[in-house]
Amino acid sequence: MRPAKPKVSRRDFFKAGTIIVGGIAVASAFTPYDAVLIAAEKPKKGKWYGIGIDINKCIGCGKCASACKLENNVPKAPFYFRSWVEQYTIKNDGTIIVESPNGGIDGFKQSVPTNEIFKSFFVPKMCNHCAKSPCVQVCPVGATFETPEGIVLVDENYCIGCRYCVQACPYGCRYIHPDKGTVDKCTLCIHRLVKGLQPACFEICPTEARIFGDLNDPESKLNYFLKNHTCMVIKPHLNTGSKLFYNALSSEVR
Amino acid sequence: MPQHLKRLIGVFAVFIILFLILHYLLTPSSFGELGHYRAKAIPENAFKELHYAGSEQCSKCHEDIRKDKAIGFHAKLKCEVCHGPGLKHALYAGQFKAGQLPDSLLLYKPAERKDCAICHQFNAARLKIQFDTINTSMIHQINAIEHNPFDKITKVEFKCIECHNPHQP
Repeated sequence: MRPAKPKVSRRDFFKAGTIIVGGIAVASAFTPYDAVLIAAEKPKKGKWYGIGIDINKCIGCGKCASACKLENNVPKAPFYFRSWVEQYTIKNDGTIIVESPNGGIDGFKQSVPTNEIFKSFFVPKMCNHCAKSPCVQVCPVGATFETPEGIVLVDENYCIGCRYCVQACPYGCRYIHPDKGTVDKCTLCIHRLVKGLQPACFEICPTEARIFGDLNDPESKLNYFLKNHTCMVIKPHLNTGSKLFYNALSSEVR
Repeated sequence: MPQHLKRLIGVFAVFIILFLILHYLLTPSSFGELGHYRAKAIPENAFKELHYAGSEQCSKCHEDIRKDKAIGFHAKLKCEVCHGPGLKHALYAGQFKAGQLPDSLLLYKPAERKDCAICHQFNAARLKIQFDTINTSMIHQINAIEHNPFDKITKVEFKCIECHNPHQP
């Protein structure tokens, strides 16, 4: 016995299917699918700020961390940081030790005897000002955002303090301000940028290990630094579009 | 159309209109101008108090020290690295005579051993520092505990600045 004739004929099914699939294909040619996973291209015009840090030059004085706290009125308690320094020590047997006593503000004390150290280096850390930041994507109220110049900012008056972004940031660069109850993070000292000054941590770095500049300006110090060094971002597999480039970054750094 | 559907459509219409009114009233004026955020939050972030002045400000009055510093190892060091944020000092210190500055305008004068040790204390991570190929040099490292700690006769702790001029080390 033959099965009952289906309500939709094969011809009609293919007709409708072709129209739907073809329609989507044509429509996507006009407005390409902008998946969040694809890092945004830098804008052709205007400023697009980026950061370079030379690990070879960092002497771990922690002046950047203390300057950040003084400039931005960050709470003095040793667990609120917008910018801090970590010391990585790789021992001869391969174990990795990461230290950051008070973010490096009080200086570092070498905790491992020199003959046991294979290599040791300082890594200054701060907000990466990602082009497609995970912290911006998770904000439920639109209180954190990327400015047209590529700075990730927080709208203090709009933040509800839900802490999603603190968890989303893969670099641990956000904290809840104990007095305000809202999230707080590096602003790339935008209040200094508008006055034509450098951000505080770049201003005071004694060895010029930190380079700040405009990625859109081919003449900028930062582009010179990127051309002349082998630079890498932290956690490139996350495709955050990080704009903080380290020279001589070891694979141990997380 | 059945009676109950008509009522349902009415209820939905009321809720949608209510939502649109609330949405209009609760959305801040500049929201969505540049993206899914309040555009006015950028100037709010950009107008905050400054603390660091920048080294150009210092040399306006302290030109002698800038000249001293320019020929030493600390030539590239900015004044505020050691002396701390000095915008208030730069703005208002000119109104006072030398030596009569109020305490709130005085800058920190690092004189203790720990102030110098923060950069110059021996640390394995500071060993391999090699500056630009033009200016190949290493940071001078000492062991702050062993490096001339006491006067051998009076047993008073030496300060680094008694032997080294910090502006021209």
